[in-house]
Amino acid sequence: MNFFSDGVHDVRQVARGWRWGRRSQVPRSAEQFVLPQRSTVFPSDWSRRRPAMLAREVAQKGGLEPLFRSQVRTRVEGLDILERIQGPVIFVANHASHLDTPLILLSLPDAWRRRTAVAAAADYFFDTWWRAVGSSIVFNTFPIDRRGGSMATTPGEVLDQGWSLVIFPEGTRSNDGWIGQFRMGAAFLAHEHGVPVVPVAHRGTFAAMPRGQGWPAPGRRQLTVRFGEPMRPAEGESVRDFAPRIKDAVAALLDEDRSTWWEARRRAATGATPDPSGPQVAQWRRVWEQSESPVADRSRSRLAAWRRS
Amino acid sequence: MSRPGFVLEVDDRTPPLLVHQGLGFRLEDSFPLGTRVVYPPESISCVPDVEEAIRDALLHPLGMDPLPELLFAGMKLTIAFDDISLPLPTMRAPDIRARIIEQVLTMAADAGVDDVELIGANALHRRMTPAELKHIVGERVFRSFFPQGKLYNHDAEDRDNLAHLGLTEKGEDIEINKRAAESDLLVYVNVNLVAMDGGHKSVPIGLASYASLKHHHNAHTMVQSRSFMDHKHSAMHQSAWRMGAVVRDAVKIFQIETTLDNNVFPKPYDFMMKREWEWSVKDQATMLGMRRGLSLAPAKVKHKLFHDLRSVYGLTGVNAGEVEAVHTKTLEKVHEQHLVEVQGQSDVLVMGVPYLGPYNVNSSMNPILATCMGLGYYFNSYLDQPVVRKGGAVILYHPLNEGFNQLHHPSYVDFYEEVLAESTDPAVVGAKYEQQFADDPWYRHLYRTSHAYHGVHPFYMWYWAAHAMDHVDDVIWVGGDRRVAARLGFRAATTLSDALEMASSTVGTSPSITYLHNPPHLLAHVR
Amino acid sequence: MLALEMFRSLPRTVAGKAVGSRLPGLLSGYAAPLRLVTIDPPRVDRPGWARLRTRLSGICGSDLGALSGRTSLYFSAVVSMPFVPGHEVVAELLDDCEDLTAGTRVVIDPVLTCVVRGVEPCDNCAEGRTNRCSRITVGHLAPGLQTGFCKDTGGGWGQELVAHRSQLHPVPQGYSDEQALLIEPVACAVHTALRAGVRDGDRVLVSGAGSVGLFATLALRELTGADEIIVVAKHGHQRELATELGATEVVQPGEVLRRVRRLTGAFQLKPDFSSPYLLGGVDVAVDAVGSRQSLETALQATRAGGRVVLSGMPAPADLSAAWFRELEIVGTYASSQHEPVTGAEGRSRSAFDLATELVAHDAVVQLAKNVASYPLHRWREALDHAHAAGRLGTVKVAFDPRSS
Repeated sequence: MNFFSDGVHDVRQVARGWRWGRRSQVPRSAEQFVLPQRSTVFPSDWSRRRPAMLAREVAQKGGLEPLFRSQVRTRVEGLDILERIQGPVIFVANHASHLDTPLILLSLPDAWRRRTAVAAAADYFFDTWWRAVGSSIVFNTFPIDRRGGSMATTPGEVLDQGWSLVIFPEGTRSNDGWIGQFRMGAAFLAHEHGVPVVPVAHRGTFAAMPRGQGWPAPGRRQLTVRFGEPMRPAEGESVRDFAPRIKDAVAALLDEDRSTWWEARRRAATGATPDPSGPQVAQWRRVWEQSESPVADRSRSRLAAWRRS
Repeated sequence: MSRPGFVLEVDDRTPPLLVHQGLGFRLEDSFPLGTRVVYPPESISCVPDVEEAIRDALLHPLGMDPLPELLFAGMKLTIAFDDISLPLPTMRAPDIRARIIEQVLTMAADAGVDDVELIGANALHRRMTPAELKHIVGERVFRSFFPQGKLYNHDAEDRDNLAHLGLTEKGEDIEINKRAAESDLLVYVNVNLVAMDGGHKSVPIGLASYASLKHHHNAHTMVQSRSFMDHKHSAMHQSAWRMGAVVRDAVKIFQIETTLDNNVFPKPYDFMMKREWEWSVKDQATMLGMRRGLSLAPAKVKHKLFHDLRSVYGLTGVNAGEVEAVHTKTLEKVHEQHLVEVQGQSDVLVMGVPYLGPYNVNSSMNPILATCMGLGYYFNSYLDQPVVRKGGAVILYHPLNEGFNQLHHPSYVDFYEEVLAESTDPAVVGAKYEQQFADDPWYRHLYRTSHAYHGVHPFYMWYWAAHAMDHVDDVIWVGGDRRVAARLGFRAATTLSDALEMASSTVGTSPSITYLHNPPHLLAHVR
Repeated sequence: MLALEMFRSLPRTVAGKAVGSRLPGLLSGYAAPLRLVTIDPPRVDRPGWARLRTRLSGICGSDLGALSGRTSLYFSAVVSMPFVPGHEVVAELLDDCEDLTAGTRVVIDPVLTCVVRGVEPCDNCAEGRTNRCSRITVGHLAPGLQTGFCKDTGGGWGQELVAHRSQLHPVPQGYSDEQALLIEPVACAVHTALRAGVRDGDRVLVSGAGSVGLFATLALRELTGADEIIVVAKHGHQRELATELGATEVVQPGEVLRRVRRLTGAFQLKPDFSSPYLLGGVDVAVDAVGSRQSLETALQATRAGGRVVLSGMPAPADLSAAWFRELEIVGTYASSQHEPVTGAEGRSRSAFDLATELVAHDAVVQLAKNVASYPLHRWREALDHAHAAGRLGTVKVAFDPRSS
């Protein structure tokens, strides 16, 4: 009996002392002697193996999707482009909310969805084991370092294993729903690994669940997502030139989503596509504009309950 | 990349800290905030090629001709080496001494030397068993010398084989092994695990007789050795150095000293060397598993588990040549590996006494050895001034329940039952009983023919602790057997908090506390 | 009169033999062949005899042995059942007895000699070695080696008994009853010490620190030239008492051999599957316990040609050492009227005489103060206490029949 009660005591002591499930701490006076952080990121290879994939299928189909659809309405356009290409591809999307990832993933056809991984900030999603495990299982995330450090697994490796990636090149969720600076990472990967980039634009996630909010706003807000033509870097095109093209494509998709395909094309041709980073007006007006959900297509919304889109 | 030792200040972020406690360890989470914890430096860089480093040291000695030039046909060559008390824990084969001796013998064979003997410099320590000798010198050397009786233990009681070399200027007898004294060249192979080893402690002490040892191994000298880890301020070492000066004139000594890194715990025990807040989940699991295993295991199994542990030391340096020049170099390395700066003394010193000390290799840590380990070795691991202030308190962790090994420590039992029952004052004890124990024919017999420590050895252990007993007012054993602690003249407590409460009569209710987080070894330089 | 009577009981004796050594307390308390009875006071109408009223009567180790069935059947022939035990007696005379007047406080030399029995003195009695009397079963008394083992004389555990003038030793003025009670055991110790043949400067080991061992230590210290006296004591307070009574060293049972070895510079050997022994050791060892272990310790720790004194009723033990080391094994029983110590007039003195002087020793006076006395009806408690006397810190437990 002693054996067990002492064992329990030991485990408790260690759990408390080493802050199991929380971030471990270094005594203040020892901080200067701690080695520079090696990778403290949890490995995520396991999450792309068969058992994890199985668990993910269950989690997404049985948990995430019903939940997601109970909270928001979605409209997906442009999926037809996926029929024309083979994976892997890089989906590049604007980023305004935690809803973006489920929105994109659940919009994809099942075959694509099962082979798509999401790049997630290592410092946020991978610094505790439970968040790492949770996001890997449900969203198939893998860590990338937004500060430019090295990682246990690089996106390149994931691509090479045949996985499509979802990358939000802004690196972080937008503050006001408008698009921020695009980083070069996605363009670089496409260039390096010779895979096409599929621009994705979505609207309404900021209105439904902006940064700082833990749950979608009530009332089943409308979300829209639109996939664009796959892009490849042209012969001899540098990463530096390719990256802005991706951003332009996303901007054009946003424009198309807001208006019509034809109007957006014409504006794009004249270079009059509205700036996706929004008008330079007072901050409240920027937020005001984005906090309005896209208008739903009422005639179709009734069908949405049993038909995707 | 090795990090230096440092002093941790326990704060609210500090996880429980590992404290060694005999055949086991404890996770102590009740160190008061602000307790200083002294961590030893991590292992420093090792020599890349051990064989090459040894060859280089032998060919380019300090203050002497290269070894091959000292060897000639027809000479009498003696190789003496440190005994099983070093290093701790025992080194995983091959032992560094074996690798050195092999190279020395290769050179001797090339020079055509026929008369070679190898002597374990065990002074009054127990004779090593053949297996232990074999481990130290290596199979090749053992096979070549042991069956012929040319590889043996020094016998400090063999009147026929001791040579009196004269007196020091202070009138101390110098009497060492006759074979060593009469050799044309005496090669001494040492392992300088801690700062007290080596130098003139090698030949004048390792190969000495009781008559010679008693001049520096006594209560008075040990109280004046502050500390014996600092040979310039150690009365014991000063005596040894005086003897060394005389021995040097009589015997040509080629001293080879080696220094090791701090890699004392092999896997899977390596978590014991890590800083607790850097323990991985695996380390934590190993620790928890070990705790459970140890709580179930019978004492014998625990003993075997720990004593079978072999360290994978790295060699950080090897120097050869004239004793003092070599030792200066050696100490530099030892200090680099062990030294930690500590600012000022504290009221209470906490130390965990591990399962192993120099005198219980393959044996049991009896209460006297535990005392020697805590109050002798660990307490004296300082330069300049003790970590604890004069009149402070020492808190030690050890169960004090291992009992005595009758084969190795017969005189310890009597010392414990008879001498300590009467007095625990090192000076009193020494004056009244030391001679009796030294002259006891049975102890002498067991020392010479069995594997027993010399009859007088427990007294030395007690003298070792004399400085600490003189310096502090209170000694409390956490987790120690109450009756045993009382016999030793100390007190026992169940937990650290109890011990601190008991000590409060000496040091007040909010004393400053320092915990020496060793092993691995450290040497506190107290400013 | 009220008395505790020991009677013949086969089941109890058998039970005592079987588990007496393991559960002595339980057995002597609840299954001892002892009962509290009202019987007629003993009568012996012969000259020289007188009635006595018991003031205090001690419980001796041999009494406990008899009650728990541990005593050898050897002794069954020299006792007469049923009898009232108690041979350590302080009493007062109820009748005038020769030169002693009624009311005189006396202690009894319990040995029932030829004189007492009214027969011609045997050779031993004639020489004053009364404890060796060979006529202890004949004469006008029932068989019985001592008062307290004979059905005709009564014993100290009853309110009254009878004794012969030759057994009586008046207690000097100023002695307490408790002190006087210790005269008989001290007399036995005196006899032991003088039988031990200790020469000046000898080292003596006394194994046991119960009353026998402690008094033997005192007698050895006071009456012989022993140099070092090593006493084996199990309990803490015995350690102090032994030191006060003259021990130079007091050791734990487990430490004996090592301490003796250290003290005498002997060599210790360890035979296969048995306890170690010494080559060399003490000159004289006194077994004051009577257990196998104690006797073997004494045999193992004595030098070749030394002497082992059996002071307790001995248990069977390995006698190899006695043969191999040519040990003299000496028994000592009770006390003698003529001890080999000469008084002022050049006549040998009796052990009681010497003992009476010894109990005036400060340490004995102190010791007498914690004699625990019980009324007869609390005999179970008393016996339990006596069994655990060493642990409880009492040297002597006694009955006080007056208080019942």
